[in-house]
Amino acid sequence: MVFITAQEILETVHMIRSENLDVRAVTMGISLDDCAERDPRRTAERVYAKIVRRAGRLVAVADELQEKYGVPIVNKRVAVTPIADVAGSHDPAAYVELAHALDAAAEEIGIDFIGGFSALVQKGFTKSDAALIEAIPEAIGATRRVCSSVNVASTRAGINMDAVVRMADVVLAVARRTADDGSIGCAKIVVFCNVPEDNPFMAGALHGSGEPEVSVNVAISGPGVVRNVVVAHPDASLIELADLIKRTTFKITRVGELIAREASGMLDAQMGIIDLSLAPTPAVGDSIAEILQGMGLEQPGAPGTTAALAMLNDAVKKGGTMATSSTGGLSGAFIPVSEDAAMARAAADGALSIEKLEAMTAVCSLGLDMIIVPGDTPRNALAGIIADVMAIGMVNGKSTGARLIPAYGKQVGDWVSLGGLFGEGPVMAVSTSRNDRFVTRGGRIPAPLQGLTN
Amino acid sequence: MRSTVIVTALGPDGRGLLARIAATIAEQKANIDDVSQTVSNGMFTMIMFVSFDESETSMAGLKDALAKTGDEVGLQVHVQHENIFRFMHRV
Repeated sequence: MVFITAQEILETVHMIRSENLDVRAVTMGISLDDCAERDPRRTAERVYAKIVRRAGRLVAVADELQEKYGVPIVNKRVAVTPIADVAGSHDPAAYVELAHALDAAAEEIGIDFIGGFSALVQKGFTKSDAALIEAIPEAIGATRRVCSSVNVASTRAGINMDAVVRMADVVLAVARRTADDGSIGCAKIVVFCNVPEDNPFMAGALHGSGEPEVSVNVAISGPGVVRNVVVAHPDASLIELADLIKRTTFKITRVGELIAREASGMLDAQMGIIDLSLAPTPAVGDSIAEILQGMGLEQPGAPGTTAALAMLNDAVKKGGTMATSSTGGLSGAFIPVSEDAAMARAAADGALSIEKLEAMTAVCSLGLDMIIVPGDTPRNALAGIIADVMAIGMVNGKSTGARLIPAYGKQVGDWVSLGGLFGEGPVMAVSTSRNDRFVTRGGRIPAPLQGLTN
Repeated sequence: MRSTVIVTALGPDGRGLLARIAATIAEQKANIDDVSQTVSNGMFTMIMFVSFDESETSMAGLKDALAKTGDEVGLQVHVQHENIFRFMHRV
């Protein structure tokens, strides 16, 4: 029997009660490979039925574990096989029908988001991929819970610039379509490089082709816990600080491992991965920016921010990998703007620019995430920003994503409230230097030498 | 099947706090396996290992009863399955 000390017990209770320690998401991945039918309506029926059958107990199981261990499990979600590989249709209307089936299934099982309205087009489009991408504005605009992601680049394939431009058009179309809600639809679309097949975080979750029939992936949390340990040691050297962060993320990850083991057993699913990402929320104290401030920066964006973030990200991963042998997903600190109140404040104060966030992307996880830009941002400017983020992922052999929100009718400096976990933030400035000739050349940026590893 | 939970109670010190919590646990047909309690600067801290037979006692019922007692005596009482403590600090 493992001996537990009183100090460890009280520390655990304190982390949960006072420092916002929670499990950010339990995400069930479900293969829809066996749902394809010649009739799109029949496919939609089978998709709905399978999700409800396999994930019908997801919320109840998560609630039961929350009660048992006293740890909040904030989000319960489902990720499915990329829908472009399921529908077997070249008609965008068929994909919209599938989006409605996903939405209805999510509502039936009581979850807020379902991911996988997705396609992987890093090297080119199949007719199915093209139809799905054409359907995204209607699918996202007409549903509440469906999230979409499109992988347009990889280290092995390069960057499909035609797909980048097409996705910029899609994002603008969704912004217009959901204009009355602050263009909130764009928060449910991620453009990826090297998309992970087992990512539990929305909006980019999907159930990849190498995944089992059903899996349970768990996203840890804990910016508040890490922030508190950093703030409590203002005089620690950077080496000492890295050790403190490692010890803390070890504990956070162990909680994720426990939940993943039990949830997968109770749901008759294979245990998937633990995503080591620190994911902020708009709640005070649940912030990556506040960790950076605790490390000694006045605001995120101050000189030294990229170095501090690199250290934080590395320490989180080192602590986490000691705690679980099942790392996966995105596993890096998230730096969204609207979802992190202190990050949004730094952007509003002018301390943080899109260009600085791009530099930060090079050393952490998701990329340019939840960044609100002017509604009249030109299509090619958006495409250029997306391409830059993809290039960082491609060359560094890691996952990067862009979740940009061109808030319809809003200008630089306006404040946009997206609601709930999406948070709020300022409209950030986009460079006005033109890039049209580069972006519209068409074709693909070739894979870099880093892709030739064999 | 027997389950073991860890009950923690934190709050301002007062008379009979441990007795009230112990009485609630007895009422719920659960057993105290181990207990430690200290008072420092007027703050009461208690850690209790409690086991019960799941056919006689539900964790939810135990939690509700202890939360009610905690409200009455001014303590924050938490009930968590022991595995989270065993898991969190070691591989």
